Amino acid sequence: MEQIIKKAIERGQKTLSEYDSKLVIGSAGVAITREKLARTRDEAVKFASEIGYPVVLKGCSDKAAHKTEMGLVKLRLSSAEEVQKAYEEIAGAGIELDGVLVQEMIKGDREFVIGLSRDPQFGPCVMFGIGGIFTEVIKDVSFRVAPLTELDAEEMIEEIRMKKLLDEFRGSPAVDRKKLVTALVGIGELGVKHSEIAEIDINPLIVSGSNPVVVDALVVLAG
Amino acid sequence: MNVKIKDSQLDKFFNPASVTVIGASSAPFNLGATICTCLREYIKFPGPVFAVNRKGEAVSGCPGYSAVADIPQEVDLAVIITPAAVVPRFVKECGEKGIRNIIIESAGFSEQGTDGTALQSEIDGYARRYGIRLLGPNCLGVLDNMSRFCCFYGAYQEIMDVFDKPGGVSYVIQSGGVGVLIIESLMDDVQGINKMVSIGNKTDVDEADLIEYFSGDNTRVIAMYLENVMHGEKLMNVARRVKKPILVFKSGRTEEGTAAALSHTAGMANNDAVFDCACRQAGIIRLRSISEIYSLPKMLTEMPLLRGNRIAAFTNSGAFGSISADLMVEAGLRMPRLEPATRERLLKIRGVFNVNNPVDIGPAPPQVYLDIFEILFSADEVDGLLLMSSIWRDFVIDVIKEVVKMCKRYDKPAAIYTPNSVGRIISVRKKFNLPLFDTMEEAVRALVVSHEQFRYLQKKETRYGADN
Repeated sequence: MEQIIKKAIERGQKTLSEYDSKLVIGSAGVAITREKLARTRDEAVKFASEIGYPVVLKGCSDKAAHKTEMGLVKLRLSSAEEVQKAYEEIAGAGIELDGVLVQEMIKGDREFVIGLSRDPQFGPCVMFGIGGIFTEVIKDVSFRVAPLTELDAEEMIEEIRMKKLLDEFRGSPAVDRKKLVTALVGIGELGVKHSEIAEIDINPLIVSGSNPVVVDALVVLAG
Repeated sequence: MNVKIKDSQLDKFFNPASVTVIGASSAPFNLGATICTCLREYIKFPGPVFAVNRKGEAVSGCPGYSAVADIPQEVDLAVIITPAAVVPRFVKECGEKGIRNIIIESAGFSEQGTDGTALQSEIDGYARRYGIRLLGPNCLGVLDNMSRFCCFYGAYQEIMDVFDKPGGVSYVIQSGGVGVLIIESLMDDVQGINKMVSIGNKTDVDEADLIEYFSGDNTRVIAMYLENVMHGEKLMNVARRVKKPILVFKSGRTEEGTAAALSHTAGMANNDAVFDCACRQAGIIRLRSISEIYSLPKMLTEMPLLRGNRIAAFTNSGAFGSISADLMVEAGLRMPRLEPATRERLLKIRGVFNVNNPVDIGPAPPQVYLDIFEILFSADEVDGLLLMSSIWRDFVIDVIKEVVKMCKRYDKPAAIYTPNSVGRIISVRKKFNLPLFDTMEEAVRALVVSHEQFRYLQKKETRYGADN
C-alpha cells in the first residue's frame, strides 16, 4: 500500500481512485467488496462470472469523486449482456479512467460511514455514524482521537443516536461489532502511521448479513 | 490524598519570595500600580516588591528603578504590564538579571494579528534563550490562596475576601472576567479557591502544564475555562494520568469544520465535536454552562462519587418529583422502582403513604425524614439521592446536616436542592456550610458529573493503576 500512495503522490493526485482507496483501507483490516479492475469489455465479463452475479460496474479514476452523478455507476447487473452494455456506457462517458471496476453487489439495508480527518490541534480523528447519501443531513456521528483503543471504538459506536440499527433489525442479524471495532481501530492506525493520508471517507459501509463491508471509499492525500 | 508538592519551576509563579512589577508607575490609571497596591496594601506581601518605570519612581511604597538590572536584589518573579512593543526588551532584561518566571499581563500579541504575533515570537525566543517560564501574555496573572499571593491587575479590596476562604478548587482561566465571576460567586458557596491562573495567549505555560502542577499540590478539583486548545495531544496525555476531577467549560462551540475539506468526514469533524471526544477519551468532564464552573465542584469535594446511575428522589411536593424525573431521564440517570423490601420498610414509617420513586411526603417531623433517608441510602437499588425539600421549618436544615453525614457513612452522594428562593438558599448554604444547589437543574447535573468522574476514575485506574 505504501507503493500505491507513493505513486499517487508522484503523479500529483489529490485523491486515490476507489480501487486504490479500498486497497489501502483493506490493508488496515477492514473488509472490502470483492472486486477487480477490468481494462477491456471481455475482461469485465470474465471478472463478473468469477465474482458471481449480480455485480456492479463503476468507472474507476481518481478524478471521479461523484461517480453516480457522472453516470459511472451501474447497479444490479445480472448477465454477461448487461455487463457488456454497462461497460460500453461507462467507457463511452468521455472521462479518462484507470479501468472499470467489477464489484460484487452487496445487499443490505443498513448503511454506515467511517471516516478519518485531521484536527489542527488533536491530530487524526476517526468518525463513525449513519452513512448513505443523507449522512451530512442526518449528522448522527461520533468521533475519537487516534490512536483508538478497542474500548474507545466500542464507546463511539454506542454514542450514535440510531445505535439500535446495530442490533437485530427487521429480520437481519445484529451487526458484528467486533468487526466494526477492528475497522475503527485500523482506520485510526492508518491516520497515525501515514501522515500522507489527509482524510478518508468510507461511505457506504453496508452491513451484509452481520458483516460490515466497504462498498465505496475515498482516500484524500495530504497536499 | 496526594499532597506532594513538585519541585517545579512553576512554583515561583505561586510562591515567589520577591517580585518586580515592570510598567508600574504613579501615572493616573496605571494598571501596574494596582498590582503594587495589591501586593503591598491588600495582601501585605512579606517579601520585597520593586517597580520598574521610565522615571525610576517608587509606586505604592515599592522602590522604583528605571531598568531591571538596577534592582539591587535577586528577583523571583517579574510581572510585566507595559505596552506590548517594549515587552520583548523587558523579557530580555529579566533574562539577563536571572529572573526565570515572568507573567506578561500586557495585551497586544497574537490575539491582535500579525504584528502582535511577531512580538510574541520574539518573547518566546528570549524565554528559550534564558530558560524562562512565561505566563501569558494577555492575562490577569495568578492568585494563590495557600501562599496568599495575588498579582491580578485591577484587583479591588472586595476580591481579597477570597483569602478568608481557602479551598480545594484550582482554576485555569483564559479570561480575566471569568476569574472575577468565579471569585465572587464562590464567596457564597461552601467550596473555596485553591489557586487561580489566567493563561491568556499561553505562549508557554498552558492548561496541560497547570493540570500537571495541580495534580501534585493540595488541589482537589481542577476547573478550566478555555477558549482554545493549542496542543491537543499534550492535554490528553496529562489528563489521562491525573485522577483529580478535571472540569472544563470551552467557548467557541459553533466553529465549523474546514471549509476546504474534500471528504464528508472532514466537513463534519468540526473543532467542537473533536474537542468533545478528546474530553471523553482523556477523562475530562465537559461543563454545559459557565455557572457550572463554580456551582458543581462542591459536589466533588463535599460528597462521595456516584457509583451507578440509579437515583432515588425525595420531595415534599409531587411537582418537584415529576419535574426532576424528566430532568434525570433526559440526563441519562435512572429512577429505579424501589424493591419490595425497601417499600415494605418505608411503609412501616408512620405517615408515609407513597412508597414509589420519587418518595413524596407532606409535612412530617424530622425523624420521619431521617428514617426515610436511612432506608433509601441502605437500599441496594439506589446509588444516590436527589433531595428536594423546601425549608419550611428550621429543622429541615438540621435534617440536611444529617443527610450530609449519612452520605459519608453510606458512601453514596446526595444532590440537595431546597425549592426556596435563591436568596434563601444562598444564605442557608453560607450560614450552615451546606452543599445546596441553586436550582434543580444544577442538582441533577451535579449527579451526572459525579457519576462521570466515577467512570473516568475507573478507566484511569484500569489503565494506570490505582495509586499513582
